Amino acid sequence: MGAENIIQENTEGAVHENTDEVIHENTLFAEPIAHIGHFPITNALATSTVALIIIAILAIVIRRNLKKVPTGLQNAMEIIIEGFLGIFDGVTGDRKKSLKFAPVVLAFFFFILINNWMGLLPGVGSIGQIAAHGGEKIFIPYLRGGTADLNTTLALATLGVVLSHIMGVLAVGWWKYLNKFINIKAFLEIPKKIVKDPMIILVNPIKAFVGLIEIIGELAKVASLSFRLFGNVFAGEVLLASMSAILAYGVPIPFMFLEVLVGLIQALIFAMLILTYLTINTTAEEH
Amino acid sequence: MESLVSTFHVDVQLLIAQLVNFAIVFSVLYFFAFKPLVKMMTERSEKIDKSLKDADEIEKRLVLTEKEQADIIAAAKKQANLIIEEADKRGEERKAALVVKAKEEVAQVISGEKAKLVSEKAEMLKEIKKEVASLVILTVEKLLEEKMTGEKDKELISKLVK
Repeated sequence: MGAENIIQENTEGAVHENTDEVIHENTLFAEPIAHIGHFPITNALATSTVALIIIAILAIVIRRNLKKVPTGLQNAMEIIIEGFLGIFDGVTGDRKKSLKFAPVVLAFFFFILINNWMGLLPGVGSIGQIAAHGGEKIFIPYLRGGTADLNTTLALATLGVVLSHIMGVLAVGWWKYLNKFINIKAFLEIPKKIVKDPMIILVNPIKAFVGLIEIIGELAKVASLSFRLFGNVFAGEVLLASMSAILAYGVPIPFMFLEVLVGLIQALIFAMLILTYLTINTTAEEH
Repeated sequence: MESLVSTFHVDVQLLIAQLVNFAIVFSVLYFFAFKPLVKMMTERSEKIDKSLKDADEIEKRLVLTEKEQADIIAAAKKQANLIIEEADKRGEERKAALVVKAKEEVAQVISGEKAKLVSEKAEMLKEIKKEVASLVILTVEKLLEEKMTGEKDKELISKLVK
């Protein structure tokens, strides 16, 4: 993107011919580059599919070269997994739980990380086609950072939060878990304890109301996860585009490094938050 | 909600597509990387643990064996010394016994010889006496053939024979 934008534009004949009229902007959404029936294939979907292929190849290479005495890629992966398990232990407080949640959390981490970094590669966001749209010519890149599309981040966040609830139900039991949100138990308790503690008639409805607020909290989790990731990555792309608009050579480089870091940190935050939700929901506790 | 969909182009189809993508990523990562890697890592750490324990055990045993060895050697030395001493003692005894026996034998031989000599001497003397007596008688007879009277003869003979 960014710095390459202009270079690519100049080298691609098709683009060069229409430079005077082509509108070149960072849209908030991913544009479709092709359709299969009614199904739009957006550039973000294309990138995340490429990311999927990269991860699959890496995983298969590791599987193929698996050795008792690790070398190269296997060594690196082992260090990463070992390091992450150490961090996870700090959150879950239990190696067994860490090992249980690690596959899904690591999948989130790697998928988001590769997608974030894919968006920084030269060619992503800069090679594309010209589409006529209402009399104006708009440049549509073939690839767009997968996480710079709310569809991706929303899907991931929803999956993560839903998964944490499923795990919670499996770990705590559905009745107890249901009462975290719709607190029927609080009302059922009132007749039993009212003689001993009259205040319960005031306290338990409040408890039930708190449970309802938790439902909104769960929706907020999805919103904050998806918009945080999308916002950071998209902002990075806009930032790089603006910097290369000032001067395409040199100026975007420090921001490029910054974006590499942001991509890593955002992937880490997303994964760790999912892990936290998983851990909180699977531990039975009274509020 | 409506504006959210129109601004960000949120599309259920795309959401599902991304979910499928992620599901594939998860399963590939889990089955091809995470599961075998973690299995191998736990196996390895178990193996290292075992090896370390084994090494400790071996070292302990080595120390024990060395001690045992030293003990055995010391005992063997002691026994060897004892055996040598005994052998020395026995040799000494035997030597003494042999010497005594030899002395006895020598003494026996000597005494036997002596007795033999004495008896031989006595016999010799007897024979000599006999012979001398006959010789003397002969000589005397020859010398005194004619001059001998009966009385003198008797006297002489008795004197000589005595």
